[in-house]
Amino acid sequence: MDSISYYLQTVLNGILAGCIYALFAMGLTLIYGVLNFVNFAHGELIMWGAYFLFLFMGEPFGLPLYAAIFPALALTGCLGLAMDYSVFRPIRRANRLTLLIAAMGLSVFLRNAAQFFWGAEVRTYGLEVTAGMRFFGLYITAPQMAIIAVTLLCVAAVYLLFFKSRLGKSMRALSDNLDLARISGIDTKRAILAAWVISAVLAAVGGILLALDTNLSPEMGVINLIKAFAATLIGGVGNLWGALLGGMLIGLAENLGVLFISPGYKDAVAFVIMVIILLARPYVIIGERSD
Amino acid sequence: MLRLEATDIYAGYGKIEVLHGASIRAAAGEIICIIGPNGSGKSTLLKTVFGLIKPTRGTVSFDGRDISRLDPEQKVPLGIAFIPQGRNVFPSLTVRENLEMGGTVLGSEKAVRLAIEEAVETYPLLKRKIRDRAGNLSGGEKQILSLARADMIKPGLILMDEPSIGLSPKMIDEVYLKIQEINRRGTTFAIVEQNARKALSIAHRGYVLDLGQTRLEDTGAGLLDNEEVKKLYLGG
Repeated sequence: MDSISYYLQTVLNGILAGCIYALFAMGLTLIYGVLNFVNFAHGELIMWGAYFLFLFMGEPFGLPLYAAIFPALALTGCLGLAMDYSVFRPIRRANRLTLLIAAMGLSVFLRNAAQFFWGAEVRTYGLEVTAGMRFFGLYITAPQMAIIAVTLLCVAAVYLLFFKSRLGKSMRALSDNLDLARISGIDTKRAILAAWVISAVLAAVGGILLALDTNLSPEMGVINLIKAFAATLIGGVGNLWGALLGGMLIGLAENLGVLFISPGYKDAVAFVIMVIILLARPYVIIGERSD
Repeated sequence: MLRLEATDIYAGYGKIEVLHGASIRAAAGEIICIIGPNGSGKSTLLKTVFGLIKPTRGTVSFDGRDISRLDPEQKVPLGIAFIPQGRNVFPSLTVRENLEMGGTVLGSEKAVRLAIEEAVETYPLLKRKIRDRAGNLSGGEKQILSLARADMIKPGLILMDEPSIGLSPKMIDEVYLKIQEINRRGTTFAIVEQNARKALSIAHRGYVLDLGQTRLEDTGAGLLDNEEVKKLYLGG
């Protein structure tokens, strides 16, 4: 492989990773904007989404991939609602530190629950591996093409929902100013439920795409949550397009970083970015400042 | 039957009681204004009327109906709008989207669209900025937008907290002209205001609130002429 196509391949890998992070980050920033806390259990929605697909593709259901996706997404949406109902709604008015700790506890619980049902080992969907295709010297597999296509689809759906539908606009209004939304007569409870479903479905879509491209493990949510969180920080709290951009930047930075440092340190790139941003704006986690 | 009647209201925040028996009333089509020193409970009274704070004692009624225990979400469909002090637009939404949010309780898309068309006729300033993000508007433009947003549902009563805060004198005049214009169409206003002189000059009636109780009640002109009010609230 000549060097130009090597660089292009690295950029492509960065975009692929970026797509996944962007899907995670958009869901995370949505809840952050609407409910004003970082849902550190978002990674578990990613992981459970991927495992729900595994569930429906395996015995006793044995559904093919395209059919198993729908119940998997629906169940993840329900899991998002259940998270809110059982953990976050009772402590809606608590301070952010309480919410943060509750989210971390929920995350540990859900991770262990997955391990209980499916074991700790790495699994795959057992799909036949097909040879990748070559475009202009770039190598891309079918799951990777799916990543790009589905991400574009999701971004279009997010745009239509949040900028064209009234429900979506009311969620943005809520994210801007909860009290003013209530005062205006917006059904804030319904908007919050919708935000949970959308956040969970985006997480599941990303988790499934990631698992199709690589594999599943109960730990897959945790590391990706950190990447999504870094992307959210880059994009600004509650900013959907910022999260999209942030995800892309993290994906590209990680993969281009490999040109200079050992791939073993790939994950460090997102951490470094995150640490730098948190040093500059520490209030995003604990929430001293209202912005 | 009065449009608004708040009688003997006791309310506060947690254990701290701010209002100790305040009463106000407004007939349909009136502008009433509530003045008083900082901490007298003016804003608390407005929030209690709107349901953001529940009174521990006393009643709030609207067109003869007891609404003391209703939540704000239940009061908006009855035709009561509240414009809070400061931060009263959705900054990341466009002007048009802000108006849409104000029209939430109108129901159908068509009713909302018609109300927006009417709003841009009434508020030409907003027509030019309809696609701008509300966060980019000037302070005065934001105040006009918040009025237009509240006016979307053609409410029977608008509660307004400190409309003149942070505005230039020219912009204050403009906001008050709009208030009078909306009022002439039949909307009742209850305005809480630091800028007592301006508010009393357009109010049909005014109240002086002090230490959580209603101290004085008179016509707007009457309060402007009152020696005590002049000395304490109008700067001599």
